[in-house]
Amino acid sequence: MTVTVEGVRIGYRNRVVLDGLDLHLGTGVHGLLGPNGAGKTTLMRVLATVARPDAGRIRLLGRDVADPAVLRQVRRQIGYLPQTFGYYPRFTVREFVEYFAWLKEMPPAGVPLAVDRALERVGLLDRADDRMKHLSGGMLRRAGIAQGIVNDPRLLLLDEPTAGLDPEQRVDFRALLREIGVDACVLVSTHLVEDVASACTTVSLVDGGRLVFTGTPDELAALGTDPGSGDSPIERGYSAALRDARGVRR
Amino acid sequence: MRRQLRLELLRGTAPAAALVMFGASVWMLAVHQDDWAGRWAGLASWVRQSMLILAALMVAAGAWQAGRERRRQIGDLLASTARPAWQPMLVAWLAVSLAGTAGLLVALAGAAVLVGRLATYAGGDWWWTLAVGVLALWTASALGVVVGRLVPLRVAAPIAGLATYLGLAVATYAPLGTVTWLSPVHAGWGAERLVPAGTHLRQAAWFVALTALLLAVAARRIRVALVCGALAAASVVPIVTGPLPRRLPADPAAVEPVCTVEGPQVCVARMNAYLLDDVAVVLQPVLHRIDGIPGVPARAADEATAPPGYSMIDDDGTIWFSLLGQSKALGGLERLDWLRASTDSFLARWGCYDGRRDEGAYDATVLARAWLHQEPPYGDIPVDRLLARPLPQQRAWFADYLAASRACDSTRLSELARVP
Repeated sequence: MTVTVEGVRIGYRNRVVLDGLDLHLGTGVHGLLGPNGAGKTTLMRVLATVARPDAGRIRLLGRDVADPAVLRQVRRQIGYLPQTFGYYPRFTVREFVEYFAWLKEMPPAGVPLAVDRALERVGLLDRADDRMKHLSGGMLRRAGIAQGIVNDPRLLLLDEPTAGLDPEQRVDFRALLREIGVDACVLVSTHLVEDVASACTTVSLVDGGRLVFTGTPDELAALGTDPGSGDSPIERGYSAALRDARGVRR
Repeated sequence: MRRQLRLELLRGTAPAAALVMFGASVWMLAVHQDDWAGRWAGLASWVRQSMLILAALMVAAGAWQAGRERRRQIGDLLASTARPAWQPMLVAWLAVSLAGTAGLLVALAGAAVLVGRLATYAGGDWWWTLAVGVLALWTASALGVVVGRLVPLRVAAPIAGLATYLGLAVATYAPLGTVTWLSPVHAGWGAERLVPAGTHLRQAAWFVALTALLLAVAARRIRVALVCGALAAASVVPIVTGPLPRRLPADPAAVEPVCTVEGPQVCVARMNAYLLDDVAVVLQPVLHRIDGIPGVPARAADEATAPPGYSMIDDDGTIWFSLLGQSKALGGLERLDWLRASTDSFLARWGCYDGRRDEGAYDATVLARAWLHQEPPYGDIPVDRLLARPLPQQRAWFADYLAASRACDSTRLSELARVP
C-alpha cells in the first residue's frame, strides 16, 4: 500500500476535523469526495506531511513518517498541490518549477530536463519564460500541478486541481492523471464528481471527518436510486452515500 | 544552491533592497559630504554613522523577504518538501544581505572615486571600520528574518525597521560606554581617531555570533541557537570590559603636521593636507597683515595636529582652526566663515570684557575684524579709510587696538573706531 492511514484523529479549535479516519490507497488514481468542511483538505495536508495528526498512524510509501529521517526521504517522493496555491509572482514558470525541484532535493543534473517534461505535461512549455503573475487562473493551476509532478512522485496529492481549468484543459488533465496513475498513487480531492467518474479507479467519500464510502465510481453510482438527488448517476450515488452515512450516525 | 541564490537575487526582495540601500546611501553621502570628503577614514566612519538608517533598512528588507511565504500563502507547499526549511531561508537571507551590501558598496564606490582624487592619507585601518559595518548589515538582515518569520503581520517589516532606527538612535545618543561597541553605529568621534584592531575584531566576533544566533532562532533550531547564544554572550564580555569609545587615541600618522613651505606658516594634519592650499589662501594673508605686530600669532595650525591634552586657549602664538565638517566632496572649503571665525579667536583672547556694553569698543573690534579679512566697507565702519593707509600704518593701528583692548581703554578704543 502506498498510503495507510489508521485511526487518524485531528482537531482544530475544539472541533474534531478528522475523527478516527482509516484509508488505504495503492497505485492508481483515487478520488476524494465530500461536502465542504468534511475534512478533505485536512486529510490532504496530513498526507502531504504538513499537518500532524493528534492520534493515529500514517504510513506513506510503506514507511512510518513519524521518524524525521524517514519523513525527509518520503517527502522527496511526494507531489502536493494545496487547495490555496501560493506562488511567487516575479518568478517565471520555469524558475518556479525549478525552485520546487530544488526544494524536493532532486539531483541537480536532472532538474532542467525534469522541469521541461513537467511543463510539457501540463501544456505550459510555451509559457515557461512568462512571469507567474502574468498567468491566468487556469494556467496558474497547471503551473501548480507542474511543480507537483516535477519529481515524478510516487504519491501525488492534488487538492481541487481542476478549479479554474476550462473543459478542454480538464479533459487533458484527466488524461495526465491516468498516465501518472499507472505507476504512482494519485489522490485527487475535488467537488467535481464528473472528474472522479472519468479519471479515478477508486473513490473515497469523507463526511464529518470519517470515511463513509470506499469503492469504484461505478459502485458509488450504483447507490443512487433517487432521480431527484443529482443530474448524473455518480451525483445521485454521492448524495445517497452521504444520506446513508448521516442516517446511520443519527 | 548557487542557482537558487541567483534566483533570489533576481526575483526576491534582493533587487529592491539593493535599490533602496543604494538610494539611501547616495542621499546620506550627498547630505553629509563634509563628514567624508577627502578622507578614507572619514568615509568608513560615515558608513558606521549611517548605520542608524542603513541597518534599519536592512532589518525591514530581511523581514519583508522572510514574510514572503506568509504573504504568498505558500507555507503549506514549502512545508511538504524534503529540503529543511532553514536552507531556503538561508539562501533568501544571503540574497538580501548581498544585495543590500552591493547597494551600499556601489554608492560608496562613487564616493571612493571622489575621495581618491583628494585623499592625502590612506592609513588608519579604515577598512576594518567598513568591514565590521558590512557584517553589522548582515546581522540587521538576520534580525529582519527573525521578525518576518515570527511575526505574522504584513506591517512587520516597516515596524521592525522603524523600531530598529529608534533603538539605535537611543543607543547612539546615550552616554558613551563600552556597551556602545555592541551597536553598529559610530557616534562620529573624528576621522583621526584610531579604533584599536582588537576592538574591531571583538565587534566582528559579536556580529557574527549574533547573526548565527538570529538565523538559528529564525530556523527554530533550538540547539544551534543555544550554542550561538552562548558564543554571542561570550563575545560580549571582552567588549564591555574593553576600552571606552571616548578614550580613542589619535592616529599619529594622520595628525602629523603638513605645513606651507612659503609665506607665513600654516599647518594642517596629514589627513587634511588636500585642504592646505585652500586654508593657506584664507589664513596667510591674515598672518601676513599682522606680521611683526608684537604678541600676535605668527602661524596657524589645524586643531587635529595639537598634541593630546594641549590647551588651545593659551596664547601660544598660533591661530588654531578646525577642519571638521569643512571639506567639499570635490575639494575646497565648505564654510569659509568658520575658518575666518577661527582667526578672530585670538582677538577674543585679547579683548576686554568687563560686563559693560561699550559701543566704541564694539565698533573698534568690528573694524579690527574687517581689517584682518580685508572685508569691503559696510555700515559706518570705516574699514576703507583704514585700508587706504600704507600697510605699516595699518599695522600700527592694529597694534594700538590690541594694546587698548588689553588695557580695557574704552576711550582709546572709541578713538580707534573712528580711525584717527
